[in-house]
Amino acid sequence: MEPASLDAATIKAILQGQSITLSTRVVAIVAAGLLFGGVLECVRRRKLLEEFTPIWMTCALGILALAISFDVLIWLTDLVGAWTPSSTVFFFGLAFLMAISLGYAIRLSTLSSQVKILAQELALMQAERAQPRPRSDVHP
Amino acid sequence: MARGLVVIPAFDEADNIAEVLRQTRERAGEFDVVVIDDASRDATSEVARAGGATVVRHPFNMGYGAALQTGYRHALHHGYDVVVQLDADGQHDPASVSELAAPILAGELDVVLGSRFHPGSTYRMQGLRRIGSRWFSTLVRWLTGLRISDPTTGYQALAPDVLRVYTSDAFPTDYPDADMTVLLHRNRYRIGEIAVTMRERPEVPSMHHGIGVVYYVYKMTLAIFMNAIRPRLPGR
Repeated sequence: MEPASLDAATIKAILQGQSITLSTRVVAIVAAGLLFGGVLECVRRRKLLEEFTPIWMTCALGILALAISFDVLIWLTDLVGAWTPSSTVFFFGLAFLMAISLGYAIRLSTLSSQVKILAQELALMQAERAQPRPRSDVHP
Repeated sequence: MARGLVVIPAFDEADNIAEVLRQTRERAGEFDVVVIDDASRDATSEVARAGGATVVRHPFNMGYGAALQTGYRHALHHGYDVVVQLDADGQHDPASVSELAAPILAGELDVVLGSRFHPGSTYRMQGLRRIGSRWFSTLVRWLTGLRISDPTTGYQALAPDVLRVYTSDAFPTDYPDADMTVLLHRNRYRIGEIAVTMRERPEVPSMHHGIGVVYYVYKMTLAIFMNAIRPRLPGR
């Protein structure tokens, strides 16, 4: 007996027709809660400045939203042309990490520039202080 | 004799700073004045020096809070008994400087906020800014019990003890605001409020605009809640 052949469109429809299991939903909700709580605790302990929290809070809310409404993930999967919802999650996860890396690279560049300026200003101040006083200032 | 310092953070205020300094000399002449130039792109430093102020210039722009903190460090370094912070755009009338400083010098309060909305004040804030101010006012009252009518005011007088907190990591370098009121209350500092004269300057763009308003409200709300639940500072 020959195996039944399925075309690509049918396989895609089958994969996208899958529903989220309860355990996956619970894991996602717990992960979002842990991320949310972890960020708040870091801020409370002054390990993380408030200005760095929006992206992590958005990420936590995004995970929570997708866990609650799986249809949004299916819609996104269709939108980006992926075949499975898990591919979409990995795609956006990777995009998120790349955006974070770029953001930190930009910030690092700014800080490098500022440290250089500070070092130059300090060197100039030290040189001014170390210079002997002009002759006119010296009392006989 | 008690020594007072007026701290004026400034960024690109060459057009306004001369008049602010003239009025400060005229109405609060007994106070020394330091202008913290946050790396302005115009002649703010030169104009301020010509106006008789001590000028401290940042090597690069660091934000309003960082400029204020430099002023606080200057005050602590020189042993001032009271600091009054004043905006460089001319919105704050220096006539209220002595009034703000009086409760600090009398040892009655540690922080005196200059309120735009206190009974007796004629300042009117419109639209979203008014709603934002009310939101923060409500949050502060809910978390501390303090009835502060203008928690986002930048016109304040501070005691040296408060300057020590404000020169620590607890002080935000972007928008120090109602979150600091909550922090100080949590650490048992005495906070008061008086009506001050403020001028409306609609032609001057606000520090917060566009998407920055959303971020400001988010950041400030988070900072207020965090300061309400953080452990007290050492020795408080």
